Amino acid sequence: MSEMINIKINGVPVQARAGETVLNAAVSAGIEIPNLCYMRSLAPYGACGMCVVETSVSPKLMRACSATVSEGMEINTESERVLKARKLVLELMMGDHDGDCVAPCVLNCPAHTNCQKYLAEIADGDYDTAMETIREKITLPASIGRVCPHPCETACRRQHVEEPISICFLKGFAADSVYKNRLPVPKTEKPTGKSVGIIGGGPAGLTAAYQLAKSGHSVVIYDKMPKAGGMLRYGIPEYRLPKAVLDREIEVVTAMGVEIRTNCEIGKDIDFEQVRKSHDAVLVANGAWQSMALRCPGEDLEGVFGGIDFLREVALGGKPAIGRKTAIVGGGNTAMDACRTAVRLGAEEVSIIYRRTRAEMPAEDIEIEEAEEEGVIFRFLTNPAEILGKDGRVTGVKLQVMKLGEPDERGRRAPVPVEGEFIELPLDSIIIAAGQKNDPAGFDALPKTQKGTVAADEHFFTTSLEGVFAAGDVTNRGAGIAVEAIAEANAAAKAIDAYLLGMELTYKEPVLSRREVENIDFTVYEKRARAVMPQRAAAERRNDFKEINLGFSEDTARAEAARCLKCGCHDYGDCRLIKYADQYDTDCKKFSGDFHTRFTETALRVIERNQNKCILCNLCVRTCENEAKKGILGLVGRGFDTVIKPEFKGIDIETVCRDCLKCADACPTGALKIICDDK
Amino acid sequence: MKIVIGEGSCGIAAGAGKLYNALEKLNDGGFSLGITGCIGMCFLEPIADIYDDGDRLVKRLVRLTPEDAPRIALAVKNGDMDSLSDLEITADDASFLEKQTRIALRHCGVIDPEDIDSYISDDGYKALEKVLREYTPEQVIEEIKISGLAGRGGAGFPTWFKWDAARNAEGDEKFLICNADEGDPGAFMDRAVIESDPHSLIEGMLIAAYAIGAHKAFVYVRAEYPLAILRLKNAIKDAEARNIVGKNILGSGFDLELRIKAGAGAFVCGEETALIESLEGSRGMPRLKPPFPAQKGYINKPSNINNVETFANVAWIILNGGAAFSAMGTETSKGTKVFALTGKIRRGGLVEIPMGRTLRDVIFDIGGGIRDDKKFKAVQMGGPSGGCIPGELLDTVIDYKALTATGAIMGSGGMVVMDENTCMVNMAKFFLDFTTKESCGKCVPCRIGTKRMYELLDRITKGEGEPEDIDKLEELCSGVKDGALCGLGQTAPNPVLTTIRYFRDEYEAHINEKRCPANECAALRRYRIEAELCRGCTLCARECPVQAISGDVRQAHEIDADKCIKCGMCVKSCKFGAVFCE
Repeated sequence: MSEMINIKINGVPVQARAGETVLNAAVSAGIEIPNLCYMRSLAPYGACGMCVVETSVSPKLMRACSATVSEGMEINTESERVLKARKLVLELMMGDHDGDCVAPCVLNCPAHTNCQKYLAEIADGDYDTAMETIREKITLPASIGRVCPHPCETACRRQHVEEPISICFLKGFAADSVYKNRLPVPKTEKPTGKSVGIIGGGPAGLTAAYQLAKSGHSVVIYDKMPKAGGMLRYGIPEYRLPKAVLDREIEVVTAMGVEIRTNCEIGKDIDFEQVRKSHDAVLVANGAWQSMALRCPGEDLEGVFGGIDFLREVALGGKPAIGRKTAIVGGGNTAMDACRTAVRLGAEEVSIIYRRTRAEMPAEDIEIEEAEEEGVIFRFLTNPAEILGKDGRVTGVKLQVMKLGEPDERGRRAPVPVEGEFIELPLDSIIIAAGQKNDPAGFDALPKTQKGTVAADEHFFTTSLEGVFAAGDVTNRGAGIAVEAIAEANAAAKAIDAYLLGMELTYKEPVLSRREVENIDFTVYEKRARAVMPQRAAAERRNDFKEINLGFSEDTARAEAARCLKCGCHDYGDCRLIKYADQYDTDCKKFSGDFHTRFTETALRVIERNQNKCILCNLCVRTCENEAKKGILGLVGRGFDTVIKPEFKGIDIETVCRDCLKCADACPTGALKIICDDK
Repeated sequence: MKIVIGEGSCGIAAGAGKLYNALEKLNDGGFSLGITGCIGMCFLEPIADIYDDGDRLVKRLVRLTPEDAPRIALAVKNGDMDSLSDLEITADDASFLEKQTRIALRHCGVIDPEDIDSYISDDGYKALEKVLREYTPEQVIEEIKISGLAGRGGAGFPTWFKWDAARNAEGDEKFLICNADEGDPGAFMDRAVIESDPHSLIEGMLIAAYAIGAHKAFVYVRAEYPLAILRLKNAIKDAEARNIVGKNILGSGFDLELRIKAGAGAFVCGEETALIESLEGSRGMPRLKPPFPAQKGYINKPSNINNVETFANVAWIILNGGAAFSAMGTETSKGTKVFALTGKIRRGGLVEIPMGRTLRDVIFDIGGGIRDDKKFKAVQMGGPSGGCIPGELLDTVIDYKALTATGAIMGSGGMVVMDENTCMVNMAKFFLDFTTKESCGKCVPCRIGTKRMYELLDRITKGEGEPEDIDKLEELCSGVKDGALCGLGQTAPNPVLTTIRYFRDEYEAHINEKRCPANECAALRRYRIEAELCRGCTLCARECPVQAISGDVRQAHEIDADKCIKCGMCVKSCKFGAVFCE
């Protein structure tokens, strides 16, 4: 046993063994000093500069991995100078780090669903696991896998090779594959004894119910409609989302023990206060169900419908009197749903009235195409000036002809009227799909935003009322897409869970490394066309409400999923570089510039080396030399463009590396990846 | 009569070898012909010294060509020295040497570096004899301590202290290493010493090895110095033949094996721990300190590393006493220092002066000021690790502390003089380009930090700088200084920091006005034809490679700035001085 000496770390007196390093002395004292190029079994190297500390023995910063303690030494591991030095090296490393921690599809999904993971699982034919991966975030995968406008695909890098992966439909495929065989009811935690009341059984309410029930809380959903499902049931037509599919997903939620009280409207059937009193926490998630008005004369005429009101009536089994000729005002997805529903109701002439051009339409391209196929007429650059009527009934619409003006600051060209130019269009009915808003009736106690939506915290979805949370279309920015409501519901469920267990939650935007598209070479990938969703013929499908998509075959689905480029880093969860970058609030782009020489090679056969993510800590080189006693790896080149490359010296790489893999374990980042070439 | 030609690399490059050959052919026994090393007056090369038979220098002829050989041979044969007066050095130029005090360079340009007897006849190896006969190792260290000699490689660490530490370090085997990996752009003091006086390096090393108790020594010389390596190799062979190097030196019982190791071609190998790695056969990358080489150096044994110039002073100190050395200089810096004076200076070469003289003395008094009557702007001291010192600080005395206070360093002795046409941002960029390329790539602050600094400087000189770039540069500078592993990285920001400190206005002009005040940055140049002066000869329009100039014959021409690629052909071609670059 060597002699013990007295030192001070961050002002606290501690004992250390004479001659040991500052790093080890700190570890013994329970103080963590960050490091990226240090490994206990190897001699200190001193490259990363993360372990620097201030000491009383030198005016310079010392590297804790190699500096040894001496009697009376005072060490500061977290002074301003130390933190600044560490942050700078992190900023330098991150600025030269060309990797994606998380795939762009995952980041662009509002719910951050792990698309990359479930695509790999689908490619492997493991749909049960894929289903669980999806349901970590999206609890209604068969429904969302049919109707989502898929921001994931918008971000998909595969589009730079040829076309994005059909991520959305693959999600639906995985869910259908599971539902076909069984009702996948997840295990729930043991009961907590706490109860949560959820107002609204739409995507947000059902998601929160699922997550909270899974955590062991008892959940009651209050929904004003005859059946749960919200806008998925009453806003999305059957031909896009068969209600049997939705029913199956709701069945999962009820099987988890969630009670759904339908036909139960707040303020009518039950008071908000009553719900609050009956539960330990309440989530308001009752959506945005009121159609917005156009504010043009004639809107009160008979034959004028709100877009979602029209869709709801049809969903409830009604047959709204739209006559032979109808027009839908608007260019969004609700307008598309309404016009195609009108076609199916037997209208002979269905028009879309939209004040901009096709290029500006917010609806999805595929929806527009399908509507065109089904015979919908698009009247671009027109805007209702007046709804014309006779005897209180719609007879037509007077349309102002528009043109596109100068682009605004967001680059969107605003429509402006062409002075004096009007068209008259004879109609039997008109459907206004110009947006939707929430109905505040019954929620007087809840503070609202200027827009009239419920004001909720953006991260925890708390309201100013104790124990009351709010998520989905009813809050803040108002109506959005279903997966946004689901994302909010997930976060709200987490916050409610923490609230019920008396825990405090914090929120911090994680620091991530992200690649720029222009830095990626897509030419290395072989082109493989995106799978086309088989559909029923337009002439046939326009006559009924049966689902128009026929679904992928298993072969198609697996091949499509295998197109994934796997952009996200395999090591994200274990990467020490990003852990520190996050901890030190690193600005990854602050010192960006040229990248060092980048390449990926598999010369080691069982290990893929990605120089893009290498920080030259040299741990692989030193491990190979000192631990594996092979010395296969070495530094090549100088300065900024130094890289690590293998040199085999006649070694049978296949056997040696397969049995060792120590370098890959030592790598602090995702630069080294074990690849199984037997697969 | 004897004609001695200065044959250092600089002299040979200027044509000294051809002159020697021409004289040799003409020599029918009327004179003897010899060589010496670098005389130190690079601006006058090739140089020939004529000695009378009493070995007295009678004439120094300068800026010679092989065509001068017949005249010289004839004059020497006839004893008609006056016929060569047009070739003789001027009194003004001769003052370049006269104003110096030469200790480290005492034999340079005086003796024949290829002849051990020439060295011995000029008090050579007397100090070694004295030490081996009369001094204990401790007494040697004491004498060096009295002299106040400090490391001449740049750091200025007291030499006796390092010797003492190595002597007292525990270990059965100790090593002595000479760092002759002179890498600073513009520095050539060490090369001159080895090429001109290799035995004084060997003698200094023998004394040092005796003091610390080493029996094996290495000289790590840049491979780019072939003449130095050759002369040193021969000198060691000659010394071995005289029992000056080897076993039982001069019958004293002291052994020293002396080897040469040619450098690996990397600047960072001049950093002592990287040098040791390279010496061991590994990639030249710095090691963590501590442990210092005095405890764990070459093959993990106690090692002492000194620079060439440091060793070159040792024999003189032993012969003349430490006190004589410390009598020169300032409170904190003793003795003399050699500088390699280069750049826009009138008289460039090697200057050795006592510490305590001012920069103005060196640059204006000895160096003769700026070439072509331009204005002095700054002097870069210490190469890429050093900084620039502006005109207002010319009276700074040469002293480790005083120079460090300016933001520059004494360094190994490189002194690059810049005139008004030098852009200081571009100068900083030049040095960062150097350090970026020479960084070994080991530690993050140096590897990536210097690269980012270079990129920022590059975009500033291209007129793409942003207002926040100066702050970013300063942040990088302080971070790299603080976080880099070795001296290369820790000092790499100095050229940037000092140029920002003294020439911030130039940075701001580049960034805010997209203007280079020194007119050096091509991307920021603006070419303009003065209509009054233009005769409409169309020559510039025809010369312009991108057809950016238009105008009718005999009418004033104009340059289209959008098309102009700033090649300067128009300025060169105009016979009327009508095209201006601003």
